[in-house]
Amino acid sequence: MPVHTRFARVLRQALFLVGAVALFARPALAQHLLLPMDDGQRNHLKAYGVTYQALKAGQKAEWFLNYRGGAFLLPDVPDLRKRAALDGVSVEPLSDADVASMRAEIAGGNMDAVVLERSPKIAIYRPVDQPPWDDAVTLALTYAGIDFTSVWDDDVMKGDLSKYDWVHLHHEDFTGQYNKLYLAYRDAPWFVAQRERDLSTGRKFGKNDVPGLKKGVADNIRGFVERGGFLFAMCGATESLDLSIASFAVDIAGPFSDGTPPDPNADSKLDWTRALAFQGAHIEPSPYVNALSDIDGHQVNVPSRRQPLGAFSLFGFSAKLDPVASMLVQNHRTVIPDFYGVTTSFNKAVVKTGVTVLAQEDGAPWSKYLHGDYGKGSWTFLGGHDPEDPQHAIGSAPTDLSLHPNSPGYRLILNNVLFPAAKKKPRKT
Amino acid sequence: MAPRRRNRVAHPWYDRVTHRLCTGAVALASVCLSLTAGAQASKPASAADPLSRGLEAEDKRDRVGASAAYREALTGALSVGSTDGDRIAVALLGLERVWNDAGMLDSIVPVVSRVLQFRPTDPTARGVQLRTYLSMGRDAEARDAFTTWRRAAGNEAAPFREYARLLLQAGRALAADSVLSEAGRLMGAAGAFSGETAQLHLALKRYVPAVRAFREAMLDEPWLETAALFGLQRVPAETRDSVRAVLLAPPVTFAPRRLLSSLEFAWGEPRRAWSAISTLPADDSTTATWRSFAERAELNESWLVAREAWTAVFDRAGDIESQQRAADASLRAGDAAAALNIVRRKSTVGKVADSVRVRALLGLEIAALGELGRGNEAQQKLDDAAKKLDPDTRASLARPLVAGWLRAGEVARAKAAMNGTELADDDEMAGWLALYEGDVVNARKRLLRAASNRPELVDALGILARTRVEQLPGLGEAFATLARKDSTGAAKRFVQLADSVGAAAPAFIAQGARLSRKNEAVALYDRIVRDFPRSPEAPEALLAWARALREAGDKPAAITKFEQLLVDYGTSALAPQARRDLERLKGAIPPAV
Repeated sequence: MPVHTRFARVLRQALFLVGAVALFARPALAQHLLLPMDDGQRNHLKAYGVTYQALKAGQKAEWFLNYRGGAFLLPDVPDLRKRAALDGVSVEPLSDADVASMRAEIAGGNMDAVVLERSPKIAIYRPVDQPPWDDAVTLALTYAGIDFTSVWDDDVMKGDLSKYDWVHLHHEDFTGQYNKLYLAYRDAPWFVAQRERDLSTGRKFGKNDVPGLKKGVADNIRGFVERGGFLFAMCGATESLDLSIASFAVDIAGPFSDGTPPDPNADSKLDWTRALAFQGAHIEPSPYVNALSDIDGHQVNVPSRRQPLGAFSLFGFSAKLDPVASMLVQNHRTVIPDFYGVTTSFNKAVVKTGVTVLAQEDGAPWSKYLHGDYGKGSWTFLGGHDPEDPQHAIGSAPTDLSLHPNSPGYRLILNNVLFPAAKKKPRKT
Repeated sequence: MAPRRRNRVAHPWYDRVTHRLCTGAVALASVCLSLTAGAQASKPASAADPLSRGLEAEDKRDRVGASAAYREALTGALSVGSTDGDRIAVALLGLERVWNDAGMLDSIVPVVSRVLQFRPTDPTARGVQLRTYLSMGRDAEARDAFTTWRRAAGNEAAPFREYARLLLQAGRALAADSVLSEAGRLMGAAGAFSGETAQLHLALKRYVPAVRAFREAMLDEPWLETAALFGLQRVPAETRDSVRAVLLAPPVTFAPRRLLSSLEFAWGEPRRAWSAISTLPADDSTTATWRSFAERAELNESWLVAREAWTAVFDRAGDIESQQRAADASLRAGDAAAALNIVRRKSTVGKVADSVRVRALLGLEIAALGELGRGNEAQQKLDDAAKKLDPDTRASLARPLVAGWLRAGEVARAKAAMNGTELADDDEMAGWLALYEGDVVNARKRLLRAASNRPELVDALGILARTRVEQLPGLGEAFATLARKDSTGAAKRFVQLADSVGAAAPAFIAQGARLSRKNEAVALYDRIVRDFPRSPEAPEALLAWARALREAGDKPAAITKFEQLLVDYGTSALAPQARRDLERLKGAIPPAV
């Protein structure tokens, strides 16, 4: 056989072998995985879950603030690739050189890299028998695959909050007035059961009525933040928590909840120095008016005062000088359609000086998203009930987040979940 | 002059005034000339009525001539003692058009003032005045004009209605709101403004109050139904239930239900559209509405809804056409049993001759019997009616009969029924015959051209597209077995054929799995995934496998299979379905309602 023919055959075989290897080999691992959080991401919400699970597995993660919508950098390990594939999360494999180039870009602009060092221990304040679909945070964490523990009044009164880094409150009324739903729902089975359960818990801790129990719970939550905890509250929990804390020594509850009318001078006796976010608000004393105070700008349950929904804008912060605020507003959208809740927004006139406004409706007298420090801890308040159900009502169908995997409103919730995972840096502003 | 300069910014047509100043001046001069010396005009048209001349001049784009003619007409109509309202209205509106086109709309203000001296409540003049002020941005003067009209008109609603309407058109919903509120307060008859109130609510996206106002307004102003339909089509999905509640609320009346029906159609809910009108008391108007609804449903290919509407029409009118179309719709919807019931019903209302019934309904009856696999009965029907049918009709009825035989897998009887017809040229019939005979090439060629999209045809095309052999008698037997409703036997045949069809093997096994019992299918899914991992059937088999495991209650195994699909076939078109199923199984999203 001529040499050139044999050579050609060997060459053909070699090419076939290379082709076969290329066809059947799995993609080689790179050094890093970037989870972009701009419009290139197929599932923003699950990306938080992938990052959380990486931290839980002891991996190191970084959060690139203001870079590609707040992208995450994870190590390229098979488990994370598999998890991203299962969750439909877009990932981009990067080499060390790619990451170095990216870091140079971040160093040169209003961007920063924050190291996420451990998965936070998360508690959600919710009754055990509550279906998870009624609470946006529970929905978001469940969908993203982020672990949490449910805590309720017994646990809070026993001091169990100290076991957690991050506590979320949703639409509970901490003034003990059930958001003044008594007149409309007093005979509804769920309302009767809720009342019975609260009275029973109250008796265990020496409280004779629901407002007394809830004030105790609110004060424990305040103490949790003061000692260094992270608190996130949405909807009616924001307003009612501060009202409950401020009214620790005065009766603001209607007779249907504690058997006595509110103190006629309740307004002047409120101690706002104890409150987290608000000051100088006025109590709504009428049991027929479905509002607790004038903190809420939208007053959705008071037809004569209800304000229409607009859209709110997220502020841009300096990633290098103000990383905390920057983390909380990372998003692929900066203007987000508003959504109602028992408390939808916060009148600027009653927000304490020093509180950071993270989002507000342009031209409106209210803000939507607040953050502040209290003692050694910090808190964040987001108005509204469900970012993807703007007019959520009692009995409404639960929101299916697999239909909203890119929800910018839900991203705000998940920013809060990962924020306690960040390695603490001294705040520069 | 200051207001003019201010207005120039907001109203671009003022620019045209500036640019066309010379033209305007000439036009005005012409108008003056024509007013003083119109009688001496020498053109032939001058002899005609000035209104006619104005309209003719407008058609010829002769603005100068038109305005002169309209002014002449107006002067004539306004002479003391003979104020002719109609002529004044036509002339005024003509002047408004001409001067608006010429960019000199403000010229109409003194003309309108002159008219109002003679006719203080003339609605056309008042309307032109308001419209002119508003379009020029002279809001204070518009408000004054409205106040003057209101005082002159006493208790009439026209000033409020016109002013609110113009404000709404200008997008000033809040200003319109205050006008309508004032009207309600002063006149104590808010209902008189329901139409305007509804438009106002629509402009403010207050859909529920809007639909309430429309419902009220349609009592006296039925023509508002079209406006309501147009405006309410954009109601967002989450508010539609509230709109439905308003239109469905008692008392049950015709117009709101018809409006709701049209809205439901526009929202893509044909079944609800039918529900809205199906319970209306049956009278002639309702029957006419049902009929037009059924025609619309046919156009929309909402066959089940069309069937129900045509059946309702038939119950009321008893005509053969509605019976025929009801049965046809039922067949097209895939409900042959109901179609058979419909064609066999006799009207209790009208009487139709038997010969007419046979001609109109026999084809549908045979088609329904064929669909149901009752070929013998269909043949019997055709034979019984043979004497009453001419050869052409009989030939035309052969197709549903042959289709019935083929669908039942009765190849010999199908061929016999085809004798003497031209059905050998029919792609669907010839294609099925070729398939049953194992002629893969001809079957593929003919069935691809078939007009039908029946499920068994789609299945057959799927298999044919993957089969590379030219003759495969076993394949014909497998499909014939399937047509005879022996799915277990057909499944075995398809799986047996897999060894002889090369790369098409996974398609044959997958077809076998689809026809098998779930516990037997699992082994076939396993074979596809294990032996043919790169075939398109592999992710499909994994998805079906995972679902079968889930339904059997083996949640961990189902999760494993869903995950295998997502990891190994992440780019498959089936991945989103698998991910959703997986999330639901893990409880990450709410259970399906």
